[in-house]
Amino acid sequence: MPRYARPSTPDEAIALLAEGGWTILAGGTDFYPAQGARPIRDDILDIGAIEALRGIREDKGDIVIGAATSWTEIVRARLPMAFDALKAAAREVGSVQIQNTGTIAGNLCNASPAADGVPALLVLDAEVELASTRGIRRLPLRDFVLGNRRTARAADELVTAIRVPTASAAGRSSFFKLGARRYLVISIAMAAVRVETDLQGRIARCAIAVGACSAVARRLERLEADLVGRPADAAALGVIGERHFDGLAPIDDVRASAVYRMEAAREIVGRALADAFGTTAGQGVAA
Amino acid sequence: MTVHIRMDDRVEADRLEDMAQGVVGKPLDRPDGARKASGTAAYAMDSLPDGACFGVLARATIAAGRLEGVDAAAVEALPGVRAVIVDERMLRNPAQGMAGKAPVQDPHEIAYFGQPVALVVAESFEQARHGAIALVLRLEARAGAVVGPDDAGVEIETPEKKQQSSGDLDAAMREAVFGVDQTYTTPVHASAAMEPHASIAQWDEDRLTLRGSYQMLRFNRAELADALGIDEKNVRILAPFVGGGFGSKLGIAPEAVAAAIAAQRLGVPVAVPMSRQQVFEGVMRRSETTQRIRLAAGADGRLTGIGHEALVSNLPGEKFSEPVTQATPFLYRGENRVIGHRIARVNRTCAGSVRAPGEAVGVTMLEIAMDELAAAAGIDPVELRLRNIPDEDPTQQIPFSSHKLAEALRSGADRFGWDRRRTEPGQVRDGEWLVGMGMASAVRVNMLVEAKARVSLSSDGHALVETDMTDIGTGTYAILTQIAAEMLGLPMDRVETRLGDTDLPPGSGSGGSFGAASNGTAVFMACEEIRRMICERFGCEAHDLTLKDGRAIAGNRSVPLAEILGGEDLVAEGHAEPGDAEDKVRQATYGSYFAEVGVNAVTGETRVRRMLGVFAAGRILNAKTARSQCLGGMTFGIGMALTEEIFHDPRDGHIVNRDFAEYHLPVNADVPQIDVVLLEERDAWANPLQAKGIGELGICGAAAAVVNAIHNATGVRVRDLPATLDKVLEGLERQGG
Amino acid sequence: MRSADTPFVRSAARTDLDLHLRVNGRSHRIRAEARETLLDVLRERLGLFGTKKGCDHGQCGACTVLVDGRRVLSCLTLAAQAEHGAVTTVEGMVEHPVGRLVQAAFVAEDGLQCGYCTPGQIVSATACILEGAATSDEAIREAMSGNLCRCGAYPNIVAAVRSAAAVVERR
Repeated sequence: MPRYARPSTPDEAIALLAEGGWTILAGGTDFYPAQGARPIRDDILDIGAIEALRGIREDKGDIVIGAATSWTEIVRARLPMAFDALKAAAREVGSVQIQNTGTIAGNLCNASPAADGVPALLVLDAEVELASTRGIRRLPLRDFVLGNRRTARAADELVTAIRVPTASAAGRSSFFKLGARRYLVISIAMAAVRVETDLQGRIARCAIAVGACSAVARRLERLEADLVGRPADAAALGVIGERHFDGLAPIDDVRASAVYRMEAAREIVGRALADAFGTTAGQGVAA
Repeated sequence: MTVHIRMDDRVEADRLEDMAQGVVGKPLDRPDGARKASGTAAYAMDSLPDGACFGVLARATIAAGRLEGVDAAAVEALPGVRAVIVDERMLRNPAQGMAGKAPVQDPHEIAYFGQPVALVVAESFEQARHGAIALVLRLEARAGAVVGPDDAGVEIETPEKKQQSSGDLDAAMREAVFGVDQTYTTPVHASAAMEPHASIAQWDEDRLTLRGSYQMLRFNRAELADALGIDEKNVRILAPFVGGGFGSKLGIAPEAVAAAIAAQRLGVPVAVPMSRQQVFEGVMRRSETTQRIRLAAGADGRLTGIGHEALVSNLPGEKFSEPVTQATPFLYRGENRVIGHRIARVNRTCAGSVRAPGEAVGVTMLEIAMDELAAAAGIDPVELRLRNIPDEDPTQQIPFSSHKLAEALRSGADRFGWDRRRTEPGQVRDGEWLVGMGMASAVRVNMLVEAKARVSLSSDGHALVETDMTDIGTGTYAILTQIAAEMLGLPMDRVETRLGDTDLPPGSGSGGSFGAASNGTAVFMACEEIRRMICERFGCEAHDLTLKDGRAIAGNRSVPLAEILGGEDLVAEGHAEPGDAEDKVRQATYGSYFAEVGVNAVTGETRVRRMLGVFAAGRILNAKTARSQCLGGMTFGIGMALTEEIFHDPRDGHIVNRDFAEYHLPVNADVPQIDVVLLEERDAWANPLQAKGIGELGICGAAAAVVNAIHNATGVRVRDLPATLDKVLEGLERQGG
Repeated sequence: MRSADTPFVRSAARTDLDLHLRVNGRSHRIRAEARETLLDVLRERLGLFGTKKGCDHGQCGACTVLVDGRRVLSCLTLAAQAEHGAVTTVEGMVEHPVGRLVQAAFVAEDGLQCGYCTPGQIVSATACILEGAATSDEAIREAMSGNLCRCGAYPNIVAAVRSAAAVVERR
């Protein structure tokens, strides 16, 4: 029979983790389904009472999102426009019921290829802060999520926060998700972009990420590089070519074919860019 | 005393029209609504007796073979586990609708992946579930199991009785000015009722009480008794509230029999809830279909020939097969006809009834073919259908009992603004959305099934209606209450309806859209008898009696019912039976669907923007619940058109997407404003209420309106449902869009 | 004796828990295993059968309850996680100023058919109104999309939420 602990501080939590054998429970929205038809057998470390892990704050210019911050809290938070993609993704995580309990770090640790939060955090150059009795370390998100259901978190580590560097909290961002139905759906493909423009309206920096089209959501660096320096308008979208999507490896599954995913990825990247440019060739809300 | 009616002929008198209370037909709230809204309506698992144990089914993980044994001892040693049961009486799959006897038994023989083979009973649900997972099954897989209808070596039956032909369709096709010859496919569908199957069994000596989630209790009682080898008099089934059925709960299912066996063996009540995954795997699926449809038409679009040949599947030995072509013989004209029906025998979850078996998929694809014909002939799709409405059933050459298809088509086109539709596809753009309109006819056969009901009028002027009929969301509580209130002249709140208990007179059960008409007729007959008794006491002729607001009125006399009854209760039983009327006339319900969709030119996503259904189903007994039934059917249609599809693993046939995350029912945001119009109609051949079924009419072609609208929006013709975004986008690209 | 209202945080690891749950304004003290969900505890320990199990995996919304006014899925919530909050189930809606209106609106608009998803819909609709999300039909559809209804009552559910929200607005 499983044990249960509900610490109130990160230190208590990492002390328990150091003993070994614990499964961390945050919002719980993936925890229970992950057991399949099986009863829960793991020892449960419930971090839901650790106030220090909740909420959004600034720290030396970085924006720090507590690991146990819920999607609803993110939707409601006052954040720069660069976080619009993250907020849009938050609104697409399951249902409102799920968003009320599901947490940002839980989504990352669960490491589903279709995790809604990952592309938007990738374009923010987010870092994951991990704590253990051995100390604190930070990893770029791209080095944290390693594969389908695999992360760089050691068994004794607790994700304490997601940090977005000041420099990356700039510009406009946008997020698109495609699913088999309008809502409450696991992604077929999703794209997040963040675009910073200079005074002449040219793309100064840009970040583009695609999810659900490879085991781990990926940034499209070549496309980012090819866009820099161009005016942020519809013409820039003409740059997008097949070669920019080489890094993706979509699969055929019950939700859609690989071929469709690849095409959809191209389309929604274009739509998200147009949206971030402000040309609104793409519209987020369906007919 | 029982009064009986057998429907051999028209019933000329429209008695309900003569009544004075004015409640039948009105859009009244469900009397059971408040209980459902407050959470006090008790479904199968909501009446857990003290000391009940829980059972969890263990299932086979092979497509075919034998269960050689189970490692019971290891599991029985687990905490809380009371028994591991493998019993020859256990069911392999649920009974088909109205079987009235046990389906295939003995779990040692395995016919599909996910088949229940054993029950682990424990003191708590968690312990039982733990035990079921820990239970080691010794399975002997049989080589050469066939899990798909297209697999090599599949056995395909061509039952002679299900083939029909008249005239010469091949010649008609050759001579046709316009023709369609296409093959269409629909995938496996799930009923996916929100309440998972569950049973709680409790024995009192040799008498069994089962609380279950079932649609047709009199049949279920017989099936359960037969499975257990006991007299059905010793079985009582209770199902006062049923959380949706859509066909999945027509026949007794494995969990009920397993619960009964376990409860008897352990001498305690045993509850066996099925998990959502088990329901997907172990309860009826709608068969996938492959349909070849041929239409031959002259220059004016009039059909000269129709061919509709279907391939469906089921387990070896199962009698049911999806009656795809059920409405094809009489929907449209055309003297040259071929109806074909073939059944592939596969080791997959049993196929059975899912909302409107037959028409749901058969009419849908026929209506897509009609849209193709309209496009080929350059005739408006509504007009094409109007030109092809036959004057009588063209196959049986018998009259229609009533027929409002033309009115439904015209009225629908008018209300929807069909004249704004562009004939040429791909003409309307709204940003990146391509917008189009589509339509389809609706048709569903109408049936009457034997039913009994008891009505008691108490001396204080309250009435009680009793039958073992169920309300699966259909509105039975409402409409039976209305019929009795109307006939007995009582306000609604003075009539109570009790359902879902086999100790009450046996009703028809819920299925095939026949519940309201069949049980309503039984209630009506009982009320007629009570009215006769009132006349006797009141000293008046039947046609002079008016009952209203608890008073009897005849001539210039108006007396409270209580006074006439003088402390006595009046009780009567009504009994309705089908008869020769079924053979003398073709009875069906008709309608039309209109849909407007937006298709995203970039992603291929389809959004239904608005939808209209116009339906004629005889007298509407409650305009509110009837409308809700139609909304529900059309919502099923949206799912069928766009998202719903079960995937079987080609290796072992197991269902890959056996949950709500991956079997995509429409969510609220997928469903737009839907308008429903119910036409005035009476069908005197149907029953004395002149009402027909409406529970399934809303799905019988609805998906075609959506798919046809996609074509109008984009020029892409999807013949392989559902029309998912990847198929639509591929089509757009193929045409260089 | 400690009031059930006092936040109480445990950090010692235990297998069998003594839980204080506050449900519909009443305090309950139960013994439960760590692995028991709030849904199972509500139904099997507290006899509150209004909250339904439709999928047990957070995919249907039938088990929606309010915890501290927020709608959550009780099948994904361990009972222990809910110990520190006030739980409101469909049974508590009768005394809830908005919930009561929502219940009446669902009956009047026929926003229910078989009724099995209804408790979850009603709790969810109540939260939707309280969240200020019932601003348009489109917004209601999105905010109510976490609650599946196979009977297809969606248009009536939207109408019910719209009409209950209008009453709340007027007050």
